[in-house]
Amino acid sequence: MPKPVTILIGALGGDGGGVLCDWIVAAAQSQGLGVQATQIPGVAQRTGATTYYLEVMPSSGPAQQVLALNPAIGEVDVALATELLEAGRMIFNGFVTPERTTLIASTHRVLAIGERMAMGDGSFDVGRLLRAVKERSRTQILFDMDQAAEESGGVINAVLLGALAGSGRLPIPDAAFEAAIRHAGKSVDTNLAAFAFGRGHARGELEQAVREHHKRQAATSGVEDLIARARRDFPAASLDVVEEGIRRLAAYQDRKYAALYLDRLNGLPADLVREVARHLAVRMSFEDVIRVAQAKTSRERIERVRAEVRAKAHEPLEITEHFKPGNEEIAAMLPPAAARWLLRRRPFHISMHVRSTTVWGFLRLRLLAGLRWWRPHSFRFVEEQAEIERWLAAIRAAAPIGTDLAREIAESARLIKGYGDTYKRGLQNYRRIADEVIAPALAGRLVPRAAADAVANARVAALADPDGESLSRTLAAIASASQPLRSAAE
Amino acid sequence: MPPASRAANGIVGGAVSPYNPGMLDQPQLAVAQRTNPERSFTEEVRALRLGEGEVFRGEGILAVTKAILQAGVAYVGGYQGAPVSHLVDVLVESQDLLDELGVHLETCTNESSAAALLGASINYPIRGCVTWKSIVGTNVAADALYNLASPGVIGGALIVVGEDYGEGASVIQERAHAYALKSSLWLMDPRPSLPTIVRCTEMAFELSEATNTPVMMELRIRACHVTGEFVAKDNKPPAISRNHRLAEPAAHNYDRISHPPSTYAHEKLKVEVRQPAAQRFIVEHGLNEFLPGARSDLGIIVQGGITNVALRGLDRLELEGRIPTLVLNVTHPLVPDQIADFCKGKRAVLIVEEGAPDYIEQAVHALLRKRDIDTKIYGKDVLPMAGEYTAEVMTEGLLKFFALSANDIDLSKPRERFEAARAGRAEAQRLLGGPLPLRPPGFCTGCPERPVFSAIKLLEREVGKVHMSSDIGCHSFATLAPFNLGNSILGFGMSLAAAGAVAPIMERRTISVMGDGGFWHNGLLSGVASAMFNRGDRVLVIMQNGYTSATGAQFIPNTAGNRRDGETTSDIAATLKAMGVKWLRTIRTYNVGTMLGTLREAMNTDDKGLKVIVADGECQLARQRRIRPQIAAQLKRGERVVRTRYGVDDEVCTGDHSCIRLSGCPSLVVKPSPDPLRSDPVAHVNNGCVGCGLCGEVADAAVLCPSFYTADIVQNASWWDRLKWRVRARVIGAMTSA
Repeated sequence: MPKPVTILIGALGGDGGGVLCDWIVAAAQSQGLGVQATQIPGVAQRTGATTYYLEVMPSSGPAQQVLALNPAIGEVDVALATELLEAGRMIFNGFVTPERTTLIASTHRVLAIGERMAMGDGSFDVGRLLRAVKERSRTQILFDMDQAAEESGGVINAVLLGALAGSGRLPIPDAAFEAAIRHAGKSVDTNLAAFAFGRGHARGELEQAVREHHKRQAATSGVEDLIARARRDFPAASLDVVEEGIRRLAAYQDRKYAALYLDRLNGLPADLVREVARHLAVRMSFEDVIRVAQAKTSRERIERVRAEVRAKAHEPLEITEHFKPGNEEIAAMLPPAAARWLLRRRPFHISMHVRSTTVWGFLRLRLLAGLRWWRPHSFRFVEEQAEIERWLAAIRAAAPIGTDLAREIAESARLIKGYGDTYKRGLQNYRRIADEVIAPALAGRLVPRAAADAVANARVAALADPDGESLSRTLAAIASASQPLRSAAE
Repeated sequence: MPPASRAANGIVGGAVSPYNPGMLDQPQLAVAQRTNPERSFTEEVRALRLGEGEVFRGEGILAVTKAILQAGVAYVGGYQGAPVSHLVDVLVESQDLLDELGVHLETCTNESSAAALLGASINYPIRGCVTWKSIVGTNVAADALYNLASPGVIGGALIVVGEDYGEGASVIQERAHAYALKSSLWLMDPRPSLPTIVRCTEMAFELSEATNTPVMMELRIRACHVTGEFVAKDNKPPAISRNHRLAEPAAHNYDRISHPPSTYAHEKLKVEVRQPAAQRFIVEHGLNEFLPGARSDLGIIVQGGITNVALRGLDRLELEGRIPTLVLNVTHPLVPDQIADFCKGKRAVLIVEEGAPDYIEQAVHALLRKRDIDTKIYGKDVLPMAGEYTAEVMTEGLLKFFALSANDIDLSKPRERFEAARAGRAEAQRLLGGPLPLRPPGFCTGCPERPVFSAIKLLEREVGKVHMSSDIGCHSFATLAPFNLGNSILGFGMSLAAAGAVAPIMERRTISVMGDGGFWHNGLLSGVASAMFNRGDRVLVIMQNGYTSATGAQFIPNTAGNRRDGETTSDIAATLKAMGVKWLRTIRTYNVGTMLGTLREAMNTDDKGLKVIVADGECQLARQRRIRPQIAAQLKRGERVVRTRYGVDDEVCTGDHSCIRLSGCPSLVVKPSPDPLRSDPVAHVNNGCVGCGLCGEVADAAVLCPSFYTADIVQNASWWDRLKWRVRARVIGAMTSA
């Protein structure tokens, strides 16, 4: 009695796993092959993982034996996944094995909610996934099926069907799969196109240009001398960052400000320059309304938006910006005295929806961006510079104690980012770490090695939850750990 | 907060500002007009029309639907719920067929009304079938169910329950079996192959009539969705039906009333007459299957629904066809003689019975003991008492069983393979390093319920944490990330009642959330009426999206009737007014600011009574199904269409993701930062965006950041659009290069 070919499909709600299942069943039936499919479709909602399980007899004639409804560990011949983490899930659950399983999976990631909501980068290590995919399956057909679907104008489930056909693991000719798509009768042409793409990739007849995210460098001229100076003064390994910093700050403010950036980097130990330069440039180009207006009115921006929202060249595009400036944003732009007065008043916010594609709307933003000259006199600028100096001083003070500690202090600048409450939360967290960990560390109340870890742990804790609970716990732990040392020091 | 204005349908927040497109300025379809035209089952409906000798191909639950028509049902009813929704859904689309046959279809508002429908078979010789999701639905139906079981039926009564158990289940893990035992209903658990399922369905009616007893048939998730084929018969028009009406009602017969003294007689009938009759019928019609095997000293007794897992397990141990197996397609009543005969002369028998308690195993022990048959019975000692019997669980159980009962069988090779597979999994998990990120279900892109929870999150920032009483329905996803809101779920439509004793002990008012599905299912009486009656000082939010969306967008009383005739039925706000609710607001959900303000008012007002917010917004899945073809047609005709979607400026976003924590929209994702000096990924709106506007609303209400923008793309632009656009582009271009 021939054994059935077992197929397990892992998909996300909305990927069309059910339709994929129906196509395979119809194609198998058209060949007179015994086939049985079942599914755990999940709820009607368009998220969440869904699984489908099929058994197809390798030769025609109805299946004599009872076909199973559940996949078994180590007994899956073909595993299909519309997304990389779901492929990982089938491996994690032991269904995919190096002895038996052909794994056909898309390499793109759709991040789960837990990965997306992290305050920093919470995404699962793709390297681990790919390694498991390669080591824990017999053969692999891997490519970005999301991209292929896009390029073909179709949907991912048809690409996957094509890849299955291309794998040759089922005794079903391409024509039968295509007939199944035609018979189903929904968006036949795009599905057939997607099917062809999938099959082409599976057979290695098609090449896929790897999608990569380009880092955008600030474009500024007239800073050549500063760059030359940087090349004289700083280690080669740090220059890409330092030069980017120079260009960014010249664009953000002016040459003078970019020069200040270099002055601030002077005299740092060589092995610290790169990290400090990176964070220093970000801190010095802090997000105020002027910077936002600069970004929203930059020359490339409108084209970028067009591409992102897929507006065709001939289609008019209207962009509406969502602003909600409040007393703090306004105070940030005032002279310090006036700002402090305003901040003592009752807080308020103004909802603004600015249509930046209208002449008047764009002009308003442009005028705001033009206030660059005033920035150095603004309250926020003065405050930021003071903060930056304190931070640099800490790094310099830490350097002789230990490079790790200095690097961690530099890294803790990551906490200070964003706008409104996010910015305030980040700054508060940073200050708590500065007072409760960095200060005692510099005062020699922590062992250098432990001090670096403490700062790192505190930073991670600060990014763990928005309510600062884990930060409080961590700081308490650090404090108690440093008790004996403190008494010893006294 | 943007100014709220009054829309045509009297809903606050109909339009916000001329600058904010998206859901808020799009005309809201009045709830009574919401229908879901794109949900069609053309293929399935065709399958239901197949005649004698034609081959049916499709899923298990559709096969059951075809089988009840072949059995000549006169009426069908049910309440939607996975995995059996399709039964009623497909019939709703089959009006013509039902009209021809004279079958009455009732889309019930809850399971007890579905169960009560079977009352027709108490007095009249007509066949009826009702369906629902178990265990939940059976609990709701229990009252009508035992009142039905006591007098019994003269027309075949079938209850198809979707046994929502194991992987993919969404309910508490209990067995419908208990109800069959306590009310003396017969329970079928057919082997998941279409011919068997169809035969059992047809036989169920005959069994029911032969024993005057309603029959339950349980189908697990995988069985409802299993594909296969069977040879169809013609559908049978019922002799008595809405097409062939009775001139006179049944003569009064007190024996058919479930009241004393009849009930004393009923109790005796159940055990002395009906059960023996059922046992005879089961044997005579060979409802249970015997699979022979060479090892006459061993045996397996298995629930029909688990048979495939068990048989594949035997294959895995290279014992296919060697172990005699008794397949119980009827799991209640058991037939003592049949089981005794099977066990007699066997050294050991394994009972494969999924879930707790082990009703069958206990019964078998007892009946063998009474007959002094000393066959060793294994069951929950080698298989787990709780949890689904997956391939792995089954294999382990079988290995244990044979090790204990038949050490002459050499299982070393299969055992090695099995252990190797497990070792491989351990290795894979080591490689992946710990558990993978979970992918729980969540609100769809553009879901109208999401903004309500964004607003509640923001409310909590002001007033502190609130005790939230959650309910069954899409909105229960708020209990998951990123919202993590909700303290309890007490059943469908129970959220308001569940806050009854919490509200009095809370400084802050409690918030109960309920869907319109839950409102009509139970919330209206168990919740609202009781709260009014007891002057409950509570806040109730009713999600009025117009469908029971979690089960596949079925109609409910405040949608367009129970059919496609667009007939309006009940209005929630009007119903609440009629019940005396004084504090009542109806809000467009997408307006987070207005929603927040209204919640704030509800929490702080001096009004001590029940405060109800009807959060109105059409199910986005249904809406997309409706408008997509419309828009496609408009574009084809060359009409001007504005496509709205949202975006994030990746140069402005700093990667804190507060926006995601307040929304969790599937189209609000992250991507690597374009900034060479930053490492944290930035927020990004992908092309799944339907332009609901929530991210903009949240960014505004929560004062997040200036990264969000709205993009309106004018398709088939008018000459005026183009002119405006050209002029603006020129001037703006000049300004940028200046």
